[in-house]
Amino acid sequence: MGIIFSLAWRNLWRNRRRTWLTAGAIAFSTLLLVAWVPIQFGTYDIMINASLRVFPGHAQIQRPGYQEKPEIRNAIDNAEQLAETLRGSNELYQGVAVRAQGFALLSSGSRSYGAQVVGVQPQFEGDTSSIPGLVKQGRFLSAVDAQEVVLGSALARNLKLKVRDEVTVLGGGKDGSVAAVILTVVGIFESGSNEFDHYFAEMPLHTFQDVFSMGRSAHAIAIVGKSLEYQSQLLAALKGAISGRDDVVVLGWDELLPGMKEAIQVDKTFGFIFYGILIAIVVFSILNTFLMSVLERTREFGLMLALGVRPQRIASLMVLESALLTLLGLVIGLVIGTALVYWAHVVGIHYPGVEELAEQFNLPDLSRIYPQMKLSNFLLGPVSIFIFTNIAAWIPILRVRKLEPIEAMRTI
Amino acid sequence: MSTVTLKKVCKVFGEGELAVHALRDVDLDIRAGDFVCLSGPSGSGKTTLLNMVGGLDRPTSGEISIADKRVDLMDKGELAEMRLRDIGFVFQAYNLIPVLTALENVEFVMQLQGIAPEQRHRQSREILEEVGLSGLEDRKPAELSGGQQQRVAVARALVSEPALILADEPTANLDSTTAENLMALLRHLNDDHKITFLVSTHDKLVMSHARRLLVLRDGKITDDIQQR
Amino acid sequence: MIARSLPLLITLGWRNLWRHSKRTLVILFAITLGVWFMIISAGMMIGIIEQQLQDTIMNLTGHAQIHRPMFRDDPAIEHSMPPPSDALRKILNSDDVKQWSMRVRQPAVVMSERESRGVTLVGIDPAREKGLSFIGKPVVEGRGLESVDDSGIIIGRRMAEKLQTEVGKRIVIMSQDKDNEVADRGFRIVGLFQAELEATETAYVFTGLKTTQKLLGMGDDISEISLMTASREGLDPLVQRLRQAAPRLEAKSWKELEPLVVTAMALYENFMIFWYLIIFIAMAFGLTNTLLMAVFERTRELGLFQALGMRPRFIVGQVLIESFILLAIGVVIGNLAGVFTTNVIFADGIDLSAFSRGMEQFTMASTMYFTLRAKDILTINLLVIILGLVASLYPAVKAARFVPVEAITRT
Repeated sequence: MGIIFSLAWRNLWRNRRRTWLTAGAIAFSTLLLVAWVPIQFGTYDIMINASLRVFPGHAQIQRPGYQEKPEIRNAIDNAEQLAETLRGSNELYQGVAVRAQGFALLSSGSRSYGAQVVGVQPQFEGDTSSIPGLVKQGRFLSAVDAQEVVLGSALARNLKLKVRDEVTVLGGGKDGSVAAVILTVVGIFESGSNEFDHYFAEMPLHTFQDVFSMGRSAHAIAIVGKSLEYQSQLLAALKGAISGRDDVVVLGWDELLPGMKEAIQVDKTFGFIFYGILIAIVVFSILNTFLMSVLERTREFGLMLALGVRPQRIASLMVLESALLTLLGLVIGLVIGTALVYWAHVVGIHYPGVEELAEQFNLPDLSRIYPQMKLSNFLLGPVSIFIFTNIAAWIPILRVRKLEPIEAMRTI
Repeated sequence: MSTVTLKKVCKVFGEGELAVHALRDVDLDIRAGDFVCLSGPSGSGKTTLLNMVGGLDRPTSGEISIADKRVDLMDKGELAEMRLRDIGFVFQAYNLIPVLTALENVEFVMQLQGIAPEQRHRQSREILEEVGLSGLEDRKPAELSGGQQQRVAVARALVSEPALILADEPTANLDSTTAENLMALLRHLNDDHKITFLVSTHDKLVMSHARRLLVLRDGKITDDIQQR
Repeated sequence: MIARSLPLLITLGWRNLWRHSKRTLVILFAITLGVWFMIISAGMMIGIIEQQLQDTIMNLTGHAQIHRPMFRDDPAIEHSMPPPSDALRKILNSDDVKQWSMRVRQPAVVMSERESRGVTLVGIDPAREKGLSFIGKPVVEGRGLESVDDSGIIIGRRMAEKLQTEVGKRIVIMSQDKDNEVADRGFRIVGLFQAELEATETAYVFTGLKTTQKLLGMGDDISEISLMTASREGLDPLVQRLRQAAPRLEAKSWKELEPLVVTAMALYENFMIFWYLIIFIAMAFGLTNTLLMAVFERTRELGLFQALGMRPRFIVGQVLIESFILLAIGVVIGNLAGVFTTNVIFADGIDLSAFSRGMEQFTMASTMYFTLRAKDILTINLLVIILGLVASLYPAVKAARFVPVEAITRT
């Protein structure tokens, strides 16, 4: 066995240039896939996390049907109690916050703008949303019943309001009555997201509930888990926690942001197609190497056959050679690719021009991309390359079995 | 007038202990129109000597002149030019370009020389007729026998009217009848066109056709015999 | 001098390629596949950008707009502008402008029986919006607006769903008038419009220009003028002339109004070159390798060339010509295949409606069209051929380096 290995290996090096060129091609495509897939998936992670952490959270508990038709009447009774039971009951729940929301007209002295107003629990909202931490002027809300409000930066600018100014909030209450209140602006936040900065305002939960005649009901409980990796456990735990009730359902982030999931799906699909084509190009590119090397050695094989070596033996020798050759390329590609990914993982990738785009897509963190270090990512590309290049290599090998010794030796 | 002159030509391959003295102090004078045979056993230096004269290799020391031009002093470009215009080659095997027809092979050198198409075609056909291959102009080498291939090579060597034709064991791969025919052709061409021939061989048949026979042994010319 | 031998070199190159046809076909396939791939990638990326651009332009931006300088930051009534002066009108009515229109825009709240939402109220001149923006297209239900005095309102189809209302019902529009008082009025929904993105359908409601002016007490004032040019190249000079004609107003082209699209385009174009290079490198390994092996197979023949007096640079030329023929064939077929794919097979675009919500996330339409520009095809072809020849230099030079003696006497 060992002899065949060393023979195969030494055969590879009889023609160093060709071996290096072929291995180079394989290394190149491996490198590309090994480096690219983690980066691509890392980008998805960023996109998801960035979107979720601003406001939606990893999961939410709502009344059935609220997600499609967010009517103010469709509220959860005693939401705070439910939230309290969840909070601290499972280490999976890193943040649990209750919210009530509706549309309202905000007016300053000279301007009026419509916005989405959300009643939040000041002491818990920061666990599930990044907005409290993004208050750039003033401060976040102080108490759950304070007469305060924080506004998105663009909204505040459009209303011509500063911290300590007053704003009138006018909307429709849960019971159909008019909801109106004057609040003091205590803070202005800047999330970097167009949507939130232009159309979002947050006020304390109890204040909202009083103004909008909601009693103690609310529209959603937002939950943030340790990380996206634990999403399925998080959802299972939540479903278990509400199993007794039929007035609420659990929604994972993919239901909260269905577009996101699909967008990633589209991108992944295109990605696979692209990789597939690239691999095909590389395979055809190096197919000739395998074809010609077999041709070149026809005389040699003829000699071996004449000396009594079985065709199967010769074939297996060549199968081994191509396997070693592809492995050589793969290993080199893997090593360099992994090194690159690791470096990028530590340093983050800074692609010029992405920051502005990131703004538009609501993804302020996109400017630095951290590749996702998961084993399956790494191996996906190389394994498929290995399979396809070897299949390509075997085509000429199958011919060897039909060689006639004398004819073979006569070849120039 | 001397076509080829060698003065104290030496050729050493390798260094130190592995040094091989292929040619030692060879002096030689070949006159225009001569038909010279270079004979000797394998390893005697025949091919080396031929390569020197043909500008395919350089002497380690000594002078080589062809038609009064110092070949040993020429650079690669000049040597190529000389091979193109002044010398014709016939090798033992693999003389022809596989993808070209017999006619195109003969025209090859003339094309490199920049000769106009009509003249090329005309001259090539004439030469092919002269060597007895009319009708086979459009065949590729793979479709010709060994003897026919050699004739095409001769035709090509001849067509640009060089000063000298070098043939390295031209009959080595041929059976005796074909070989005889080829040699007769060469002598015939030598008589008609007055081109100098230098043929290396270890075949007695070939040697019998020479007007002048040089015997080479261990890198030195040991005999210089005038025949016929 | 090499010119006279060109036919010979081409003959040699061509015939050498077909000596081993299977091998040539394999590498040819790799090249063709590579070129095809580059072309459809380009078509896809440019298609996406063009789509975004078109959507942006049709989404009320137009090729250029004119406002009061403060309007874009603070789209409130006090920053409205007077109707165009004669000087301005002259340019607007000239041949350089394909279509132009006046609008009033104002943030407002729309209230149905059940729901209320923030929107932008837009007063338009319906006749002029044809070909200028998406609202110029026919409505999907009910009727379109008929004149500047039309007091009916048109809302988006999905907006109607969200407001739980329909054609024929009434909704109330509430906004701020010139004196900072609340101005509200009931409108009857006369039609529903449709746009690619749900966001567009829920962002705007349309009524007649004069109706809006009356509601807001604006007199003859308007918010903006939007226009389309006759040609893309003529846009910038046109904007210049508009600025000169109306120095107190702000005239901006779409490039300045939507800088993000410009950035995105630049980003994509840079990325494309990078992508081409990657595909090329994948091909190049095979190209160089195949040529190299072919050259080594021909050592004797190459030695023969030299023996017969062929200069080294001619040998280099011969190998390069061989490579060029190969690349040229691959490029031609790849081009044909690529253009066929984008313009024939996918002439109607790729239907991604199954992923429509995801596309919305990226503000992209659910049909993806390919757009091929001559510029891209030219770039790809030049890149492949020039770099391909560069990749063939190594084998070509190697071929010329064979020492004739060794070459010929090799067994």
